[in-house]
Amino acid sequence: MYTHLQQEILELRDLVLKMATRVKDALGMTIDAFSKMDANLAQEIIAGDDRINELEVRIDKTCLKLLALEAPVAKDLRFIIGCMRASIDLERMGDETANVAQATIVLSLKPILPFYSRLETMGQRSKTMLEKAIEAFFAPDPDLALNVCKMDCNVNELYSKIIKEIIEYMYNETPAIERSVYCINIARRFERISDLATNIAESAVFISRGINIKHYCQFDNRS
Amino acid sequence: MEHKKKIQVKDLDFFYGENQVLYNINLDIPEKKVTALIGPSGCGKSTFLRCLNRMNDLIPGIKVRGKIILDGQDIYDTGVDVVKLRSKVGMVFQKPNPFPKSIFENVAYGFRIKGIKDKDFIDERVKTSLRMAGLWEEVHDRLSSSALGLSGGQQQRLCIARAVAVEPEVLLMDEPASALDPIATKKIEELIYELKKEFTIVIVTHNMQQAARVADYTAFFLMGKLIEFDKTENIFTSPRKKETEDYITGRFG
Ligand SMILES: Nc1ncnc2c1ncn2[C@@H]1O[C@H](COP(=O)(O)OP(=O)(O)OP(=O)(O)O)[C@@H](O)[C@H]1O
Ligand SMILES: [Mg+2]
Repeated sequence: MYTHLQQEILELRDLVLKMATRVKDALGMTIDAFSKMDANLAQEIIAGDDRINELEVRIDKTCLKLLALEAPVAKDLRFIIGCMRASIDLERMGDETANVAQATIVLSLKPILPFYSRLETMGQRSKTMLEKAIEAFFAPDPDLALNVCKMDCNVNELYSKIIKEIIEYMYNETPAIERSVYCINIARRFERISDLATNIAESAVFISRGINIKHYCQFDNRS
Repeated sequence: MEHKKKIQVKDLDFFYGENQVLYNINLDIPEKKVTALIGPSGCGKSTFLRCLNRMNDLIPGIKVRGKIILDGQDIYDTGVDVVKLRSKVGMVFQKPNPFPKSIFENVAYGFRIKGIKDKDFIDERVKTSLRMAGLWEEVHDRLSSSALGLSGGQQQRLCIARAVAVEPEVLLMDEPASALDPIATKKIEELIYELKKEFTIVIVTHNMQQAARVADYTAFFLMGKLIEFDKTENIFTSPRKKETEDYITGRFG
């Protein structure tokens, strides 16, 4: 038999899952729109961001209510706090996909540059991280979460390389400066998305173990 | 534990006749902190609490094994003066139990039975104790009226004043706020924060949130066994034992 609080927590879980799925889909579409330079699809992503924001508000409200009325403790408390954090991270990711989509619309009017495929790879990596982070969050699976944190270093490296490459390109190809700047921006957005996926993975560890691995990337003992 | 140990409980077993109700309890109670005892009804919290000042001795047929060391001395050693022990380890019960006497006499009771006559001293201690119990403002102009005319919450604070008047070092409280409304409860809780500056407090409570609010350490008992003992913060955010988690999140039975 479920207690009232458990029932409410299941509903909260559904909401966060729904939001995570929307963000994951938005990210998938964003990468797609970018690789195909599809302005219509990009437009759709921007329009869809509202539906993500809406869920954030609902999740926030639900968590606040549960904290005030149910005085949750232990894993219930950790799960609710984890959901609050995750919904903030997911909302930002939603914004970032809209930003990439916006840049894609501008880029779609001009010929593509050689490093687009590298940016796409970076986007794919951040998407994989998000998928794994979501999986780790809902399992919850702290080991998988830790893997996500480790993948972030990978994306960071990729980011530095791409930025360097774009800057070198800009030296020689002044007509492509505007597009290059947009691409730097896109790389930055994908890098942010991986950071946010890492945050979700950290929340997964918090939920399952009650420990904070922020800035460590490893399981630490309780202080 | 990072705090000085006031009481060390070692391998404590307790029996009512043939019926064992505490099993091998090991627990250190930190000085000038609040330790909460939680657990389902019948798990032995009150029994354990009463062991700490040998209140159970009054019940026929009990058997105690193990040690309870208070400031280095086992309180179950032969030759321990139980009256002295109980003035060092005071107790407040679930139901306020004022005597049918004046407010003043209730607080002065401990001195009367000790045969202390010094009026100035007693006046001063009664006043200080009522202050400590947060009751002075409410009763200072009617000290000679009957304690039975006080509200339940006031009576409970009066009992706390009576307990602290004799300057105990440890204060045992068995569900001290369970019969009180939220405001009286809040007053008792605030009082506990104040009292722990001077006393070591052990409190039994069925109110999880109360334990979470007032206690520095929390011990979870289940069927006569101590399942988990840790900082309250850890117990309520990330307990180590599944039984504890199930109990405090209400997923029990
Ligand atoms: N005077 C007594 N004589 C015999 N058995 C007793 C006595 N007092 C308590 N018991 C038994 O000892 C066990 C522990 O009781 P105790 O009162 O310590 O539990 P508790 O945790 O304080 O419960 P509650 O939360 O209901 O106050 C119970 O099984 C109870 O029936
Ligand atoms: Mg009891």
